[in-house]
Amino acid sequence: MKRAGPGRRRAIVTALLLAPSTLWFVALLVMPLVVVLVFSLGERAPAGGYQAGFTFANYLNLPARLTAFTNTLTLAPVGTLLCLVFAYPLAYFLAVKVKRAKLMLLVLVILPFWTSFLLRTYAWIILLSGKGIPSWLAVVGIEGVRLINTPTAVLIGIVYGYLPLMVFPIYVSLERLDKRLLEAAADLYADPIATFRRVTLPLSLPGVVTGCLLVFILLMGEYLIPQLLGGGKVFFIGNALVDLFLQSRNWPFGSAVAIALVVIMIVAVGLATRWAKHQGATREVSLL
Amino acid sequence: MNKREFLYHLRRYQQGSISRRQFLGATGLGVASAVLATELGLRPRRAFAGDIGDRVSLCTWPSYHDPANLEVFTQATGATVEMTVFGSNEEMMAKLQAGAAGYDVLVPTNYTIRDYASQNLIQPLDLAQIPNHDPSAHDTRFTGEGAVDGTVYAVPKDWGTTGYVINSSEVTEGPTTWKEFWDLTQTTHSGRVMVHDYQLTTIGNALKYYGYSFNSIDAAELAKAEELLLAVKPHLFGINSDYKPSMLSGDAIMSICWTGDAVQLRRENAAMQYVLGREGGEIWTDFYAIPADAPNVKGAYALIDYLVTPDINAKEVLFHGYPSTDARTNALLPKELLEDPILYPAAEVLAPLEFGATGLITNEARAELFARFKSA
Amino acid sequence: MPDVEFRGVHRRFGPVRAVDGVSFAITKGSFHSFLGPSGCGKTTSLRLIAGFEQPDEGDVLVAGVGMGGVPAYRRPVNMVFQHYALFPHLDVFANVAFGLRQRSPRPTRAELGRRVDEALALVRLAGYGDRRAWELSGGQQQRVALARALINRPTVLLLDEPLSALDRKLRRDMQFELQTLQRDVGITFILVTHDQEEALSMSDSVAIMRDGRIVQFGAPNELYDAPVNRYVAGFVGETNFLAGRVVERQDDRASVRLDDGRVLAAPLSAGGPGLAVGEAAVIAVRPEAIQLWPGGDPAPTPLDQMFEGHIESRIFLGDQIEFAVQGDLGRILARAPKAAISVRGDLVPDTPVRFGWENESALALADV
Repeated sequence: MKRAGPGRRRAIVTALLLAPSTLWFVALLVMPLVVVLVFSLGERAPAGGYQAGFTFANYLNLPARLTAFTNTLTLAPVGTLLCLVFAYPLAYFLAVKVKRAKLMLLVLVILPFWTSFLLRTYAWIILLSGKGIPSWLAVVGIEGVRLINTPTAVLIGIVYGYLPLMVFPIYVSLERLDKRLLEAAADLYADPIATFRRVTLPLSLPGVVTGCLLVFILLMGEYLIPQLLGGGKVFFIGNALVDLFLQSRNWPFGSAVAIALVVIMIVAVGLATRWAKHQGATREVSLL
Repeated sequence: MNKREFLYHLRRYQQGSISRRQFLGATGLGVASAVLATELGLRPRRAFAGDIGDRVSLCTWPSYHDPANLEVFTQATGATVEMTVFGSNEEMMAKLQAGAAGYDVLVPTNYTIRDYASQNLIQPLDLAQIPNHDPSAHDTRFTGEGAVDGTVYAVPKDWGTTGYVINSSEVTEGPTTWKEFWDLTQTTHSGRVMVHDYQLTTIGNALKYYGYSFNSIDAAELAKAEELLLAVKPHLFGINSDYKPSMLSGDAIMSICWTGDAVQLRRENAAMQYVLGREGGEIWTDFYAIPADAPNVKGAYALIDYLVTPDINAKEVLFHGYPSTDARTNALLPKELLEDPILYPAAEVLAPLEFGATGLITNEARAELFARFKSA
Repeated sequence: MPDVEFRGVHRRFGPVRAVDGVSFAITKGSFHSFLGPSGCGKTTSLRLIAGFEQPDEGDVLVAGVGMGGVPAYRRPVNMVFQHYALFPHLDVFANVAFGLRQRSPRPTRAELGRRVDEALALVRLAGYGDRRAWELSGGQQQRVALARALINRPTVLLLDEPLSALDRKLRRDMQFELQTLQRDVGITFILVTHDQEEALSMSDSVAIMRDGRIVQFGAPNELYDAPVNRYVAGFVGETNFLAGRVVERQDDRASVRLDDGRVLAAPLSAGGPGLAVGEAAVIAVRPEAIQLWPGGDPAPTPLDQMFEGHIESRIFLGDQIEFAVQGDLGRILARAPKAAISVRGDLVPDTPVRFGWENESALALADV
């Protein structure tokens, strides 16, 4: 018993130390999720909202939002990929090529974040509308281009809005990259392309994976960009949720859609993490 | 898009007033708040109203109040007006249903008041505390729904209609009906027409295509309306209640439209014409009400009383472009405004219009129909 | 034909002349070192050969071919980097195979495996192919870096302070290994170091650099025996310098008047420029050339120069003892083998001593 004393005390201390984070976790993550789960099994009250019940009807009704799911599950990955395509060269430029004024350029990357996202996206509405970019294209002979209220406009908005989220993790991983490794590769006959492919890219994968996960997860819940730049014609799961909670006030069905979104996200992120870990194991790069 | 135009839009955005009803709101950003008309360099001083607290929270629609009026209120009472704008009645109700919204004054539309009252979301009004409101000055046609079963829950603000706006330099067919609106959308003007992101008006006016009631909840009639909407959707430029920028930029040339927006659009471009479909459509009245859980009831009464004062209300009308229901206010307005056919349509087009029906705001069939249309 | 040649090479970084008009030729198959303090231009010279830097003026030739416009990845040279620069995402095998995989035609899998095994065996790391760089000790990483470079059979192997990160014992071993390796593979090695002992002990030729210029280029014994000036003498070994001005010149010797009025004579350095009367000069005396004995005793042998002082400190250097003597000439270092008769137990600090040297064992050098 004497020996159990300190051990038990240690256990109590550990429990006490863990208590705040556990409470935090339960209060902020588990409890809301439980509420949503319970709601998703209930019924819509006649005046809207939630009414207790136990039915899977909301889940069976999910195909009614199939388009929203397919839109999100195509445009979110495509948007993530586009962000990556635009962000990587920018991050590379900032981390490797820029010597002076680096801080200033980094600030420029996040500068748009200092103004309202809504205001910036509204500026894009103006740019993409008929009197914006399409009218400039018409001047050089490319007529009849329509951008606003199309999936292209939504993707442009996504790339614009999420670029910094992609740039920074990649920038950090490229910044940390030992520049001598690039010289070593050149010394070993690797031309710039081979150096990029065999050294720079593999070593910046942690940043790429972080950036992609960050952007993808947020894109899965995106609703503002499709609403504003898609003109209500490009409909994401996020838009379906906003409508269900804020317009038709069908909380149970909204909860079912939310749960479905969470499940899809867990599966997608799980697969991505697994792939990243696999890459990490074969390349010995700590990806996560 | 030239610089002047951009700055103009920017300024309107900053005022929290891009369009009536739906900019922030219908975009899903219903909680976006714009605090306006606060201490603009002037230290509020306490005056006659005595202690009404230092803030009154007003829950309303975009572009719906003259900031100068609110400023005067603040100077007179010491209470700043905290303004929150919403996109739709649905959204406003959703916010109140969720509880503890903290609003003092609400601007609901006629057809929602009974639902608010039956859910105990708003409180009966003590008219003695709104001495500047004179029921006899209002046309009962517009004011009836402020009372539920004899209890007054709301006092009228202004009224309006829902028709459609056309850019007559492009829409040259001179349409006069909802049937023409929907047919032109699917043919000649495909890709350049907008409808509201608002089930009441979009479904209601689709119902008018077949001559059904704007307020129908008949399953068969709704099925027909859905069929039309799904057929129209690929031809739409957008589903958005923020249609003014697209109309002005020329991307859209026809859109479902409210009275005040039509007035504002015509101010920008004389080719903008307002059409009330001959089949009918919506006529509505907006009211002032006080939420049941309003934190500052005294302040709420003070603000409502101030805003319904005829000379103040006249300034409001000049700002937002919707006709007042108050004869005393109208007496103070210029003649050309009172004769404007957008504000005051001819009797024969006004006659078939319907007020939105009680219950539509909570109707699941219409809500789901609209959601299917949007997500199709 | 020399393997590496510089012809009037300049490389400037802003106002800094990192390499300032350097010309030299390194014999094929030799072990050459660049020696000098940091910032002297030795590393820039190496990077000019590797192709990481391009000369602003002049030509760099490798195996007789001008390297102007040839990028690093097309040069027949390989480098061992200061901190090895092993690829952290690749195992030892892939690190070593990296260069071969970039060549065309690409070697077959079997050929690749054979060559990598061979290279690893050469650096005594057979069987380490599947290890990660960070699982290896410093010395092992060093050898992987060597194997990674040597497997390509370059014309020239460049070594940038390759041993600086190793401890003393390991460093000695690796110096020996490098020398052996160089003899075995027979290619030109060019080493950059700030460690004179390393440079002198390993190299066939050494270039001592200062402020972007080569001060002296020669075999280690030339540099030691015939330094061109005070700077080189100071760099290749510890030396006592007695500064003054030339007062008299004969063919191969000079007399220098020290600041305190003494006049000392010494032969001119064979490698140095002829000193003119009035020129600033130093008399350089190696510590091991100085004899030392207790103050009251007569000189053990007749000496040209003799002075008095007292022991300030004594330090054991293994087989030698080093004395610091404070006296007539200020502070002088003297070094004697432990076995020498003159090194007695009574030569402790504060003991009055006499010391001196033969003029022939000193050198008169330009004071630059």
